[in-house]
Amino acid sequence: MMKTANRSRRKTSLVQSMAYTAVAGLLSLIVIFPLFWVIATSLKDRADIIRNPLGLPVVYQWSNYVDAWREGNFGVYFVNSILVVIPTAAGVVCLSLLAAYAFAMFRFRGKNILFTFFLIGMTVPLGILVIPIFYQMVSLKLVNNLWALILPQTAVGLPFAILLLRGFISELPKEILDAGRIDGCSNWGILRHIVMPLSRPALLSVMIFNIVWVWNQFLLPVVLIQKASARTLPQGLSVFMGRYGADFGLLMAGATISFIPVVIVYIIFQRQFIKGIAAGALSGV
Amino acid sequence: MADAKQLAGERPMLAFTAKLAWQKNVSPYFFIVPALLVYVAFFVFPLVKLVELSLYKWDGILPRKFNGLRHYQRLLVDDRFWEALSHNFSWMIAAIIIPVILGLMLAILLSRSSMFGSIFFRTIFFMPQVFSSVTVALIWQWIYNPSYGAINVGLRAIGLDYLAQGWLGDSDLVLPALFIAWSWVHYGFTMIIFIAAIDAVDEALFDAAKVDGANLMAQFRHILLPSIRGALTTIILVTAISSFQVFDMVYVLTRGGPGDASMVVPVYMLESAFTLRKVGYGATVAIAMGVVIVGFSVLFLVLRGVYKDTD
Repeated sequence: MMKTANRSRRKTSLVQSMAYTAVAGLLSLIVIFPLFWVIATSLKDRADIIRNPLGLPVVYQWSNYVDAWREGNFGVYFVNSILVVIPTAAGVVCLSLLAAYAFAMFRFRGKNILFTFFLIGMTVPLGILVIPIFYQMVSLKLVNNLWALILPQTAVGLPFAILLLRGFISELPKEILDAGRIDGCSNWGILRHIVMPLSRPALLSVMIFNIVWVWNQFLLPVVLIQKASARTLPQGLSVFMGRYGADFGLLMAGATISFIPVVIVYIIFQRQFIKGIAAGALSGV
Repeated sequence: MADAKQLAGERPMLAFTAKLAWQKNVSPYFFIVPALLVYVAFFVFPLVKLVELSLYKWDGILPRKFNGLRHYQRLLVDDRFWEALSHNFSWMIAAIIIPVILGLMLAILLSRSSMFGSIFFRTIFFMPQVFSSVTVALIWQWIYNPSYGAINVGLRAIGLDYLAQGWLGDSDLVLPALFIAWSWVHYGFTMIIFIAAIDAVDEALFDAAKVDGANLMAQFRHILLPSIRGALTTIILVTAISSFQVFDMVYVLTRGGPGDASMVVPVYMLESAFTLRKVGYGATVAIAMGVVIVGFSVLFLVLRGVYKDTD
């Protein structure tokens, strides 16, 4: 998807190219400056913030990070977020692959009805379901349990994943699939040894989109998790914000702790990220 | 498409191949059932339950009372709901204009100009997209801080003290201020989709236009814009659907305040159902919002031709 920007080598002067680069450089400050400033603030003490709000720290207060990590319980929140993200993404990928395979490869009674039934899920956002989900989890005794986040997000993630994977699988070359069948592969074997390896790019997009979406999900935990020890990272961060509202050094250390790991992972896997988010965001959820 | 059952049926059913034949005949339903179970239990069931809840008067604890359609009648005359809904619509309209134009301009700059380091700048511009909205809210709360925030400190530094104010505390400014924070993330999405669409345009079209002496504006109007029309439709609809559901930013930064100046429907829904303990009414608010979103989503699915390759 990401090709090099200029496919044709247009004859433009060096000056012009530098001017365009300068424009982009200036615009990128809109992203870079707030982040830089958040990190600068996170390394200041109170007096330094008041005296010199915009500048670099006079004395670097690394202790803000130690305090934020301890006071904010970020360790617990990180673990919880990971414990929600992994089963949800794995669940969506596995279940949607199976269903998409059937929708792409077989003809059977009720196929269109079933497929449309799944598509309904793409039109209804998770947000409007939080009230019934809350009472469902009350009766399942799952409030304050991470499964209360995993199960609904898996269900809501399925429709788009099925749509995307079905499209991908039905475009796989028929000859390879037929060859597999002639070699005596069962349906299961064809899925396992032919379809799955060939679908890796689409599976990766589905996975990454779900990871980002679930990692950042906020509305569901706000409703379903009330116990401190079960909070996910965004929710924990918002509680931290409420509690230390005036201590900006500490707050910005918390903000930095929350985005640095994501930024590092993003920079390493940015192609997959961009592809996954672009593909997934097209679902409208 | 080769039919598995048919193929299996053409083979001799010898005893030792019986197991194999069964495997070949694994019903397609077998592959769909796991997804279907999860989907029905945790999506369809709550959806049905939502409609049911909206028909009852319930505080969440005591036995509920059937209420018919009275919640819906009340919704029609509930000024707080209509005000919140109008905020969602304003937000949505701003969202399909500002981040879309910004994203398109950046995409053209990064994709069509002769600049250096365009991949590097893509990485930078897209970055806020991966942040959680709570992180973004926290960053912008600090930027908007009345005493030490970057905006007010900056305004004072250049002698515009009279413009410095509590951005999130002013009922006229709070929604635009929240919207700017939200846009800081969302132009990245529109930019990436536009870049993909622009990169897919046949370069020969531009070359031909240049030979014909078309200037940059003419190239934009007659070649670029028509070529990315599909992407534009997609982006506008996706942005409309996602921006209409705005919740996180508002909930974290203002909870709808001051007063109801930044109240949006999802916050009002939670307030009704959980703070005021009117569960049935909260469900009714959710349904009202759902109807709008489903309308846009169906339009989106139809325009994207989802059904085109179903047999």
